[in-house]
Amino acid sequence: MNRMSQSLILVLLGGAVLRVTVLSTTYMNYVKPGFRPFLIAAGAVVLVLGVIGLVQEWRKPHVTETGPGQRDEDTGSGSAHAAAGDHGHHHGHDHSRVSRVAWLLCLPVFAIFLIAPPPLGAFAARSEETPPPPPSLSADAYVPLAADRATSMALGEFIGRAWGDSRHSLAGKKVTLTGFVVRSSKKDRWYVTRMQMSCCAADAIALKVAVLDAERPPDDTWVEVTGTWIAPKSDKIPNGTVAPELAATDVAEIPQPFEPYE
Amino acid sequence: MPDRAVADRTVEIPPDAWGRRSAVSPVMPWVFALVVVLLLLGRFVLTPVLAAPALQTWATVFVAICVQALPFLVFGVLLSAAITAFVPPSFWTRALPRHPYVAVPIAGAAGAVLPGCECASVPVASGLMARGVTPAAALAFLLSSPAINPVVVVATAVAFPQQPLMVVSRFCASLAVAVLVGWVWLRFGRSGWLRIPSRPPASGSSWAAFRDAMRHDLLHAGGFLVVGGLTAATLNVVVPRTWLASVAGIPVLSVVALGLLAVLLSICSEADAFVAASLTAFSPTAKLAFLVVGPMVDLKLIALQAGTFGRSFAIRFVPLTFLLGIVTSIAVGEVLL
Repeated sequence: MNRMSQSLILVLLGGAVLRVTVLSTTYMNYVKPGFRPFLIAAGAVVLVLGVIGLVQEWRKPHVTETGPGQRDEDTGSGSAHAAAGDHGHHHGHDHSRVSRVAWLLCLPVFAIFLIAPPPLGAFAARSEETPPPPPSLSADAYVPLAADRATSMALGEFIGRAWGDSRHSLAGKKVTLTGFVVRSSKKDRWYVTRMQMSCCAADAIALKVAVLDAERPPDDTWVEVTGTWIAPKSDKIPNGTVAPELAATDVAEIPQPFEPYE
Repeated sequence: MPDRAVADRTVEIPPDAWGRRSAVSPVMPWVFALVVVLLLLGRFVLTPVLAAPALQTWATVFVAICVQALPFLVFGVLLSAAITAFVPPSFWTRALPRHPYVAVPIAGAAGAVLPGCECASVPVASGLMARGVTPAAALAFLLSSPAINPVVVVATAVAFPQQPLMVVSRFCASLAVAVLVGWVWLRFGRSGWLRIPSRPPASGSSWAAFRDAMRHDLLHAGGFLVVGGLTAATLNVVVPRTWLASVAGIPVLSVVALGLLAVLLSICSEADAFVAASLTAFSPTAKLAFLVVGPMVDLKLIALQAGTFGRSFAIRFVPLTFLLGIVTSIAVGEVLL
């Protein structure tokens, strides 16, 4: 692989990373929002490295015509000539040669541009069979809910309250949950779901709340579900084996939220 | 979000350097121009076709692994190239103890200082070796730095709020494994197994050497990172996690199972504590094994190590690390958890 292709691959890669971070918010499909500055910095470094390489390649013929030693980067390639003999423009024995594995760096670029991967949806949530995580807050750390209106709540908080709150703060209170639709194997319910990621989409886990008493919209539809929590009939079922249940009074379709993950 | 993308795509690619290449070589530029046209048009032609949920999920995980690892890789490569280009070789002989058996634990403990993902540690370790550091000491650093650095320690403490001993166990077990592997390599390792990446003596300005080393490492390590990302994404989508639940109750097997899961999932060491915390069915010792093995052995790391240090290195180093990781986790788990 010659320097030309190396530089072009770096330009493509850096361009693709900057494309999903600077020019759009697509990067939120893959990583946490706080990751943006690091991604921009990394993309910029890669792009600049590629562009410098391209400029060097482009100037090379002029160097041999006008003689080496004009600019500081030319002195570098000039003495490399002297040291490595006929190394020059093509494959040398040193760092100018990179194995063909570097071509694989085109794959993420192609995936970003051609497949345009969406945030994880119902497919990932369905195949995700591990029980949801335990409540993130310790018990009794939850504030009481308003009695007269529906409270918007993250799915993680709802699950935490349903499982970990000894004072049953959810009982009888109206809440609004936002997520996408995942069908269930049971007939009478479907799941409102949100993927929770701690670092990137590879470690995302599905937070699910079972919705009862409502018609199921198609999979992957984003919805706002308003309803009340159904307290489990027995205390025998350990936390984490079944999703908490919600009796829905209202289901509204919404566009995909700005941040797809929780 | 394809509709948002349509509007601004043309601004980003082709970049400004694109027009200049025509002066150089007659074929390559046209190939790349074709690729860019394909990327631009493919959005309209191919994206609707490539909409199978399984493929999209796979692509999301694959791109996520690559995108998330890239900043760490760039950081590691920057550091490694800086070590190669700007730090004189004599520095390391003065900084590390002369005796290799003493240098190993010192280098392992030095890993606690440098915040970085495992993707960063491979190029840094190779840069250290190229600068004359004893390979075993560089390997101890390679293993310890992603496992015990401050960011990982804090993340672990956040993920296990009720179990402060988990943080202590992780730190001790990871450092112990790194030092043990270093000593074993020092005692039994042969120099022929390890391909120390050769660095040409800095020709010309050190700035040019820095740039060249960086480009080389980035492309090389990046290529192998993609190999690891492909494998991890495929396993992530294809292998259901249900089989895990069946082994959760069996003492030693559950520890090995979570160790293997850490290898397969290839989660960054800064995030793996949260995943470990979510595996509620498993014993604390099994979770500890997940946390100890994950930063030291996983698919993208294996690909990176095989690519950087050679295959004959990886087939010995990886099983050794895995085995010692499991054994140490069980031992530390018995005592502390």
